[in-house]
Amino acid sequence: MTFTGRYVALLAIGVVPIVLFGPSMGEAAVVLGGWLLLTIVLGVVDLALAASPRRLSLARSLPSRVRLGETVASELYLTNTGRRMLRAVVRDGWQPPAGAGDNRTRVRIPTGERRLVTLALTPFRRGERRVEQVTVRSFGPLGLWARQATLTAPGQIRVLPPFLARKHLPSRIARLKELDGLTSVMVRGQGTEFDSLREYVRGDDVRSIDWRATARRNDVMVRTWRPERDRRVVILVDTGRTSAARVDDEPRLDTAFEASLLLAALASRAGDRVDFVAWDRRVRGRVQGTQGAELLSRMVDTMALIEPELIEPDWSAVPAQVRSVTNQRALVVLLTSVDAAGAASGLLSVLPQLTSRHTVVVASVTDPQASRAVRERSTREEVYRAAAAERAMLDVARVSAAIRQLGGEVVTGSPADLPPALADRYIALKAAGRL
Amino acid sequence: MTVTSAKRPGQAGRTDAAGRTDAAGRTDAAADAVSTTPTVRAAGRKALFWVVAGVGAVLVSIAATLIAGGTSAAGPPLAADNPAPVGGMALVEVLRQQGVTVTVADSLNEARSAASAADNPTVFFYGADGYLDDDQLRDLAGIAPRLVVADPDFAQLQAFAPLVGSGGVSSADELSAQCDVPAAVRAESVSPGGATLGIEVGDDVDGQGSDVDLIGCFPTEGNSGTTYAMVQQVTAGEQVTLVAGTAVFSNETITSDGNGALALGLLGESDTLVWYLPTLADVAVAGPPSLGELTPGWVTPVLLLLVLAVIAAAIWRGRRFGPLVAENLPVTVKASETMEGRARLYARSSARLRAIDALRIGTVQRLATQLGLARSAGLDEVVGAVAALTDRPVSEVRRILVDEAPEGDRALVALSDRLAELERQAVRATTGTAHGRMDT
Repeated sequence: MTFTGRYVALLAIGVVPIVLFGPSMGEAAVVLGGWLLLTIVLGVVDLALAASPRRLSLARSLPSRVRLGETVASELYLTNTGRRMLRAVVRDGWQPPAGAGDNRTRVRIPTGERRLVTLALTPFRRGERRVEQVTVRSFGPLGLWARQATLTAPGQIRVLPPFLARKHLPSRIARLKELDGLTSVMVRGQGTEFDSLREYVRGDDVRSIDWRATARRNDVMVRTWRPERDRRVVILVDTGRTSAARVDDEPRLDTAFEASLLLAALASRAGDRVDFVAWDRRVRGRVQGTQGAELLSRMVDTMALIEPELIEPDWSAVPAQVRSVTNQRALVVLLTSVDAAGAASGLLSVLPQLTSRHTVVVASVTDPQASRAVRERSTREEVYRAAAAERAMLDVARVSAAIRQLGGEVVTGSPADLPPALADRYIALKAAGRL
Repeated sequence: MTVTSAKRPGQAGRTDAAGRTDAAGRTDAAADAVSTTPTVRAAGRKALFWVVAGVGAVLVSIAATLIAGGTSAAGPPLAADNPAPVGGMALVEVLRQQGVTVTVADSLNEARSAASAADNPTVFFYGADGYLDDDQLRDLAGIAPRLVVADPDFAQLQAFAPLVGSGGVSSADELSAQCDVPAAVRAESVSPGGATLGIEVGDDVDGQGSDVDLIGCFPTEGNSGTTYAMVQQVTAGEQVTLVAGTAVFSNETITSDGNGALALGLLGESDTLVWYLPTLADVAVAGPPSLGELTPGWVTPVLLLLVLAVIAAAIWRGRRFGPLVAENLPVTVKASETMEGRARLYARSSARLRAIDALRIGTVQRLATQLGLARSAGLDEVVGAVAALTDRPVSEVRRILVDEAPEGDRALVALSDRLAELERQAVRATTGTAHGRMDT
């Protein structure tokens, strides 16, 4: 039970009769008592006439998924099963990150009728967003006193990673197509595959002339090549403690997801098979054996629920994880953070096992703030900051050099640059036939 | 800001289609509304124990107060309805049982009207609080033929018996009557100790004065003469009895020695006794009317109403709209925290050499890349190449890049600036030679 502002105002208006009809203390006290009695009687009558907030049946209609940053409608149907007209304010108790905004709605529902309450949800955090309850505050016809009850009406909506990096996809696919059907302009690598024979046109490299075919056809024929297909790409995302750190107000993990989504989209378009594993000390999510559009939708679905774990990742088990995905030679992309030498020792110790069998790319987010800090050196504090930033960058350079020495490749970039940089590296490796 | 809307009845055409999955792939969850808010009855049942316990505690405390209250409360001294040790209820009750009509007066006017209404009354007066001024005390002296004053102070002595003064504390072991006042004679003795009264002028103890007779009873022989526990002054038709101290009348001590007999003797002489203890009502009101008299009568009720309105407003605004919604918050750590922390460590320990070395290593590496030197190029090679490129002496470049140790923070900032300048110069020189002027 609660009061409304109208009741408070009614109570305060009692000042007028008290002043008018109560010149002496005794009379004023009698008027006060009478006024209080009047307001309470009115309130009780109002409360008795208010519809029960419990006599409601609720139904929800929710989209099951939404991309982060998009807006969806949450629909709540309220059916008045009571015997009195319901005048109420309804609060739909979404978790704050669901972005429901002002979730209080005024409704009037006659007996036996149904009304729809629509909320625009704009979630601002990835993951599963839930709603457990609906609170109904039912007012009487006078709007003085109100009854209130909280009703259970569970619902949930899965907020997927935004995949903002998809804007880079068309240009990368175009470059991928350029690789396709290239003749000897492209350097023949061990990984490129024979595609077809066609007639020589002026400008083709004479070294790619197939002399036997030329002899058979009585025309100069050249061989064409296409990039290798059906290679394996294993994306392993580190969800350990360093992935929780925010770079440019985005957790490293989210940048890693963006990069893996772009790479997966590109690689599946190029005809490679992509597997995704999120790992710290155990598997947090895994997508295996899917192709095409299904791959991306399953990947975002899996990623939606993965949060950074505040534990140190277990690198020693990573080669076994990769082996469980594929026995073939594969491109293994490790999305982690390349920091100080001490923190990277686990990664460095298992790299030789991986590089002996696979092509390994280590992708890491760098902090653009560090490179900015290096250049600002006008005061004492800024010089020390620049020194610390330089030291951090030197550490990254040292670890990167160690990784290269162990046979891996390193891709670093700011949160905005890392996904396209990783895609470019993939295209470069593919062009070189190193998959 | 998201938009919130409830469909009007006319617009609610979708309602009959609700509750089923539609083309947009929405999953619907229909549920009977189960209330998590307890009903009044359920809440009452849950709180029953505490309500019963609270009521029980209140009842027990009320009972305990009623049982213990009579003995513990002090109350006003010698009040006729005060059963505490300092009260005078015992004496009043005994007098009433003996048939004396005891009228309790709270102000001089009441006392005067009560005295004038009765035939031959006795007035008992005890005014330790000094509410009465001299005029009122003189008035009091004349309202009854017999006045008994308990523990008179200086002003009261001046008004009732100017010849009697305070006599200090009695040192005698026992106080016996030794006078011919009937009540004192019957009492024989009063409890020893306590205050006394002295008679200042001459030796009128035996009543040899012209028109004022002073009779002292229960004497104490002290250093400064004889003092008395009771003095009776008899003038024409009026009798004023001054009793030093309140021990004779109070509940606690009235039973010891002859206290009770003396009190009953003094106060029971006539059929009517006016028991007068001055209160605030006696204080003369003078000057302009007070604030309380000026304010209209409705002010207090209006204030009360406004307080109630404020409480109602607090309930209106403070009632929570359903329980709080829980959520798991993510960890938010900025990646640059470690960098900032290391910078503060450098600054706090003034690790100038370490800081400038970090900057130097970075600069040297960038310069080596910029000048196209091999990654394995030695420091001397870089120094030489930079010196040649920037037209600076090798020693100076070497000092900037390697040797100089900053002495203070000012030197550190200056050295860092020179380092940056050197790097800029080298970059300008290389880009200038390679591509012409493209770096503006």
